[in-house]
Amino acid sequence: MCRRARPLLGTLVEIGACGPDASAAIEAAFMTVREVHRLMSFHEADSDVSRINQAAAGLEVCVDPHTHRVLRFARRMSAASRGIFDVTIADVLVRHGFLPPVAPRVTHAVEATWADLDVLDGSRVCWSRPGCIDLGGVAKGYAVDVAIEVLHTYGSAAGIVNAGGDLRMFGAPQPVHVRLPESPGSLVALGHFNDCALATSGSYFSGRGARGSRHEPLVSRDRRICAAMRESATVVAQDCMTADALTKVVRLAPGLAPELLGRFDAEAIIIQGTGLKHIGTAAHDRGIGT
Amino acid sequence: MRHPTWLLIPAAVVSTAAYGTTYLSLEQAQATIFPGAQLTAAFVTLTKEQAAAIEKKSGVNVRKNEVKLWKSSDGGYFIVDEVVGKHEFFTIAVGLNADSSVKQIEIMDYKESYGYEVRNEAWRKQFTGKTSAAHLRLTDDIKNISGATLSCRHVTDAVKRLLTTYDVALKPG
Repeated sequence: MCRRARPLLGTLVEIGACGPDASAAIEAAFMTVREVHRLMSFHEADSDVSRINQAAAGLEVCVDPHTHRVLRFARRMSAASRGIFDVTIADVLVRHGFLPPVAPRVTHAVEATWADLDVLDGSRVCWSRPGCIDLGGVAKGYAVDVAIEVLHTYGSAAGIVNAGGDLRMFGAPQPVHVRLPESPGSLVALGHFNDCALATSGSYFSGRGARGSRHEPLVSRDRRICAAMRESATVVAQDCMTADALTKVVRLAPGLAPELLGRFDAEAIIIQGTGLKHIGTAAHDRGIGT
Repeated sequence: MRHPTWLLIPAAVVSTAAYGTTYLSLEQAQATIFPGAQLTAAFVTLTKEQAAAIEKKSGVNVRKNEVKLWKSSDGGYFIVDEVVGKHEFFTIAVGLNADSSVKQIEIMDYKESYGYEVRNEAWRKQFTGKTSAAHLRLTDDIKNISGATLSCRHVTDAVKRLLTTYDVALKPG
């Protein structure tokens, strides 16, 4: 398998492919990831996300079909998780220093929630009450999915895309390891996976602050603050956007996890200290074993 | 659905000290970024004053005074650089266009460590610019890690430092 890695999406993105056109397929897949990065960047002033964050209530904003797909999915996930998953939390991330205060709106607390951003047909969105979004919790997974689509288009026999730990593969079983949250230099084997996606959420690289007052870029909706948790959650799902989004819900609302994982045909693996817990059985139905 | 219960992590925990990947040899990186072009080595040693100016302008430490630079027949530049993060070590290849804009960035190799090794130059040397075939010390078992996102801030900093290096020390005239 031909493998390449580039710095994109604020992390290391690795793409591997098998087939006669592997190099060209990988190059095209990187181009797509870069496009998703450009469209969904919170930092860049002309990204779709920045334009949405500057739009007044009632004003329709035309977005790229990629952004539209992500926002439509985010709305579905928000409804299914009763608002636990919510992309309209950029102000909280700015307040905790995880995002820069790029737009005036993000510098004070915003009341709007996911339900205030209408996702309309024809690649348009519209605030009924102005808010601000960050797609950090879902865009990386989406980028993995579109990169996989590109590898398929090029006729790759097998492929894998790993965007800083959110990954998806097809065509050949791949061994996957996961980090221990309290000792991220130690890995435990989860087994071999094929034709599915895995994403992991944990604070071991992204947390800020000293031990004891550590926060991570994961926003607890009802308290509108960044959470601080010690366990990690890995979700196995059919696509990486679903896996990426579900990791947040599983960590923020463990009580909702079994029902929601079932609805999205997903499974979760929670690691805390030296303990490991499976929730759901969907992944086993896909023939995954060690 | 099974009732979720806590299981003990299996004893087969492995260390990332055995984890690393070589993506491109020097020749492969050159051919990837400048396909079909002729590359001529033109290594540069920065003076103390240049290194200080680069640090001041970019806000990034200059650890080495040697710039591994190749000039391309189409007017571009190819630079190989090392990036030392908190727990990771990269060799990167950066291609610049003739107008000094970034053409392409490729990771040549990646090695992860939670020990002291990552800051030890002799240890790092054994990985730099190796081809896959020569990369024998690392285990093949760890191929894909699902984990919380590792920041690539150090790579971004290195690119910023190299662009400033171009302005301070390489720019013709």
